[in-house]
Amino acid sequence: MMSTRALGLGSALRKAAFAPNAVRSQIMMRNIIGKRFIQIQSVTPASGTEILNAQRLKRPSSPHFTIYQPQLTWVASIANRITGAGLSVLLYGFSIAYLIAPGTFDSAHVVEVVAGLPESVKYAGKTILAAPFAFHSINGLRHLGWDLTKFLSIKSVYGTGYAVLAASAVSTAVLVFMK
Amino acid sequence: MQSVLATARVNRLAFGSRPFSTSLARCQAVPQQKPVLLKEFKIYRWNPDEPDKKPELQSYKIDLNQTGPMVLDALIKIKNEIDPTLTFRRSCREGICGSCAMNIDGQNTLACLCRIDRDASKNAKIYPLPHMYVVKDLVPDMTLFYKQYKSIQPWLQNSNPPEKGEFLQSPEDRRKLDGMYECILCACCSTSCPSYWWNQDEYLGPATLMQAYRWIADSRDDRAAERMDRLQNEMSLYRCHTIFNCSRTCPKGLNPAAAIAKMKLEMATD
Amino acid sequence: MSSSLVLRSSLPRTLTQRSVAHSVIQARYATSDAAQRFAYHPGGPILKGTVNDPTTFPPSSRAHGSHHWAFERLLSAALVPLTAAAFATSGSSYPILDGILGVSLVMHSHIGFDSVVVDYLHTRKFPVIGQIAKWGLRTATIATLVGVYQFNTNDIGLTELIAKVWTA
Repeated sequence: MMSTRALGLGSALRKAAFAPNAVRSQIMMRNIIGKRFIQIQSVTPASGTEILNAQRLKRPSSPHFTIYQPQLTWVASIANRITGAGLSVLLYGFSIAYLIAPGTFDSAHVVEVVAGLPESVKYAGKTILAAPFAFHSINGLRHLGWDLTKFLSIKSVYGTGYAVLAASAVSTAVLVFMK
Repeated sequence: MQSVLATARVNRLAFGSRPFSTSLARCQAVPQQKPVLLKEFKIYRWNPDEPDKKPELQSYKIDLNQTGPMVLDALIKIKNEIDPTLTFRRSCREGICGSCAMNIDGQNTLACLCRIDRDASKNAKIYPLPHMYVVKDLVPDMTLFYKQYKSIQPWLQNSNPPEKGEFLQSPEDRRKLDGMYECILCACCSTSCPSYWWNQDEYLGPATLMQAYRWIADSRDDRAAERMDRLQNEMSLYRCHTIFNCSRTCPKGLNPAAAIAKMKLEMATD
Repeated sequence: MSSSLVLRSSLPRTLTQRSVAHSVIQARYATSDAAQRFAYHPGGPILKGTVNDPTTFPPSSRAHGSHHWAFERLLSAALVPLTAAAFATSGSSYPILDGILGVSLVMHSHIGFDSVVVDYLHTRKFPVIGQIAKWGLRTATIATLVGVYQFNTNDIGLTELIAKVWTA
């Protein structure tokens, strides 16, 4: 039975068995030939891979950060990177500017320009500098804690996360109003 | 008991005055007709037979009161009753096979373990696992993920097996594997990891890395040094920036980020 | 009986269709551009090897692995007391502190930028832009180090500058 099924002869035999004797052999022969030609398709392993690869090239990539729920985990992480990169761009920018034009970017000139700014701009500028510095520094401590395998449960991740946000807000305020 | 007798008497009394059918119905528990609670499901669709058609969200509305409690129930209902072409993987329906991992309302989870939000005013959005090549609809190509899992040689290796009997392990050593051996490789964590999104061809991702540490931490395995040495490069392990999306999203409540942090510290102090 | 006639007459057609289809497949995949069409691109849908082959690892190097990681952490940890000291003292009176802080901040920044480049613009995926980013960063870091050194020696130094600008 297994062999007839594998060859696709199952239904042909069944039909032949119930058919009148005169046509039995005829039908059987035709059905066998017909089925066998429909069944066979030899594909080499190599061409199988190529058919798969042809399909792969058409596949779209599923959406990622545009559909992913904003969570404290990855939002804090990307914020850590952005704040760090922002502060470092400032360090690099000022140092390279000083290297190229020491006469324009010396401390006396910089302090003079800042001193000439209106008070509101000064406070805004200090906030823009202090907030990333506070967040990156304090979140950096959180990362160092994780690297020492501390605070690794999801509960602690969220606890320390909110603590970092609160501490950053307080530190920013202290820095901005520091004299 | 008395009250039952009392109702029986009432029914007998009522028998003469009303048709038999209604009096019988009064005795039986009648299923309460629940109001229709239509909720919209927006599901990512892409058909490989029409590869030039862009992927799109298709909307289906089903009655939550005629649906099971989980998102997988909703998907099966949609497939059975509305659109048989909707394609997704599922098997065990109880969170042990890992087949139905997908992104539901912005979070990677198993559809069979994720309750449907009963708030019908909000729609539910269902995408395949993020940043994966899509075979069809909600079915991502997992080949790379499995190839990576194979690369860490996830089997016990020990050149000095015990002369007779089995490997013995103290309860303390066995406890080190808790929280790691339970992983079902559903890939929710790996595909929630931004580092894995950007560098999945070289970075192994949280699921595979936790399994790498599962064998490093196993006291019966004596190839820890070689296992760790393979990870000593810029990409395989150290693309992990301790983001914690993996642990946040794990439908089994495991903590891949913690396992990776322990492995990093072990490798640095080794 | 008529159905068997149809079956018989369609037989040769099936045969020819099949042989045509087979030759098309062979022609398409026998060409040499198949290899090019299905070439491996990092991050692309075509994978190296068969589905049963494990992925491979880059060459092992502690300098790029655990040593790099440990150095990065120790440097970050060192910045904590350095920053505290910079707040507590005046830069001009402690030029050594100023120098150490300048160098370590630049190195910390360089490692940070470098991980950004490796994460988003790796040379295996972006052969041109990746190289520009990598070498541009190295150039900028050296220029910054020189600039910081110049500023710390010829001018008032970083901590003093920040203190003065802050209270200006």
